[in-house]
Amino acid sequence: MLSSDHRERSPTLRIAVFAGMADLVGGRTVEMPWSGGTVADARRLVAERHPPAATLLSRSAFAVGSHYVADDAPLAADDDVAIIPPVSGG
Amino acid sequence: MSGTRGDAPTQRHAGHAGCVCHAIDTARVLAAVGDVDAGGNVLFVGTARGTTDGAVTHALNYDAHEPLAVATLDALRRDAIARFGLVACAVVHRLGTVPPGEACVAVATSAPHRAAAFAAAEWLMTAIKRDVPIWKAEERPDGRREWLHPASAPRPGGGS
Repeated sequence: MLSSDHRERSPTLRIAVFAGMADLVGGRTVEMPWSGGTVADARRLVAERHPPAATLLSRSAFAVGSHYVADDAPLAADDDVAIIPPVSGG
Repeated sequence: MSGTRGDAPTQRHAGHAGCVCHAIDTARVLAAVGDVDAGGNVLFVGTARGTTDGAVTHALNYDAHEPLAVATLDALRRDAIARFGLVACAVVHRLGTVPPGEACVAVATSAPHRAAAFAAAEWLMTAIKRDVPIWKAEERPDGRREWLHPASAPRPGGGS
């Protein structure tokens, strides 16, 4: 049972989103099939799936865990990925 | 993480950084930086305004990437201690809904003399607004909510 579920389910990248980005994509996470790629690939896929978020996305950084990552950094399906739009705390 | 007496000032890391989802106990933030070697103690408290540019704000709402926000706040706190020769530094940011008049952020600094404590508090507030992954929305009386995303992306790594 478990093994057949595992076979049928393709790897998924889950990306945490916040604030105005969460409003634009309609949720706190973006999920998409992921067979590997870089931050730039993920950025392009998110923009294709959520066109209203494209402008804010172009001004946003990506983080894995508690570190920012560059556009050429590879992402794995089990990475703890987040989109960090321009900040406004304080 | 506090340095022991006799450490060089730049190696001391007294104080703390964090996020809370309830009212900030500002007296406690100030008390956290008290030290017999500190002759100047500064507490800055940022509070929610009831109006911005003439528009009424029902409340402020804060969202955060909490692990990254706490890590960045702590990195800035340590950077401030080193840059300004502080005795101690504490930073607390509130998340969730903040009614007008209540504290959103509190920064406390202590130094042998007041000039460094004032300068560090100002530097920290500027750095927090620029680098920490926390976002603010203004909630209007009609229920509309506007998230604020200024023109530039956060600076990777924090600090400067």
